[in-house]
Amino acid sequence: MKVSHMEITVNDQTYSVDVEPEMPLLWVLRDELGITGPKYGCGIAQCGACTVHVNGYAVRSCQLAVGDLGSSKVSTIEGLGTPDSLHVVQESWIEHQVAQCGYCQSGQIMQAASLLSTNPNPSDDQIDAAMSGNLCRCGTYPRIKAAVKSAAKKLQGS
Amino acid sequence: MKNLHTAIGLLVSVMSFGAIAADDNVQIKPPAAGSVSQQQGLLAWSRIFDVASHPRCANCHTGPSDRPMWSGPSYGKTRVHGMNIQAGKSRIGAETILCSTCHTNKSEDWDKANTVNHAAPRVAMSWQLAPEDAFWFGRTTQQICEQLRNPETNGNRDALEIAEHLNHDLILHWAWAPGGNREPAPYSLQEHVNDILAWGVAGTPCPED
Repeated sequence: MKVSHMEITVNDQTYSVDVEPEMPLLWVLRDELGITGPKYGCGIAQCGACTVHVNGYAVRSCQLAVGDLGSSKVSTIEGLGTPDSLHVVQESWIEHQVAQCGYCQSGQIMQAASLLSTNPNPSDDQIDAAMSGNLCRCGTYPRIKAAVKSAAKKLQGS
Repeated sequence: MKNLHTAIGLLVSVMSFGAIAADDNVQIKPPAAGSVSQQQGLLAWSRIFDVASHPRCANCHTGPSDRPMWSGPSYGKTRVHGMNIQAGKSRIGAETILCSTCHTNKSEDWDKANTVNHAAPRVAMSWQLAPEDAFWFGRTTQQICEQLRNPETNGNRDALEIAEHLNHDLILHWAWAPGGNREPAPYSLQEHVNDILAWGVAGTPCPED
């Protein structure tokens, strides 16, 4: 596979990269662009640490070839909110002090934000189903669930 | 709930960033009318059932259940897809987690995408469960046959249209080239299409007719 020149949009910025089209998006983000919020965990979509948004929806970036992005827009944890204007999921994560070691947390937050964008008032079972593909070796699952429910309530305005 | 349905509708239109195209290698050539006997049609059906009941097909044709199944050398006996996956009414997981979160869309010409054992298989269209009416998992040959020949449960298709559906829907092609250590569906896509066409010309007979 030959190296190709392509432009990709990440967090509303356009980047030019010269990479093989089959390179997983995660590699491009971390090694080519220095965007290290998405983490490498398993490399086979089994852990969720690399979760980013493509056109607003959660995608395991270790599984998506950068050449398959086309004109789709990528968002990482770095583009979800800012310190002055946090995303509602980030606010809830801080309130519930979810993180322990923190390695999986960017993926967890991106997955939760994707869930709430399509289902702003998920049931407990739906939260469990949506978050089951994101592993946390520290076992912060109770706090993750509480934070997602808290974020959903904020979105409902209560 | 209205917001959810709106989001799902938007989602279906936005998420299909992979191309969908027919496989040029598959020929749709029905036998001449009257040239296939009922007995030959039933033989064709028995091979169609071999395909429909194979795990590469049946595991995603779970009917009323929105839980895809796993089976094969990696998993031992058949069991429910890990990670608490629920495809929901949308059949694409829009209510919880999209199938395409892990089963990402790939280029048609990227033939090495499914070579890694245990990685989520991918095709050049959105991964999804089959419609609820297309219920094959654990069903008998008669039940699947009656579902497939009934326009009310097969997407309003005759046999020719079922064959064309097989040609155009790339997720179905994956069953014959699943990659990794997954066992492919029996026969070939072309042979399966030929059997569908022959079965149709024979009058879509079922074993217990």
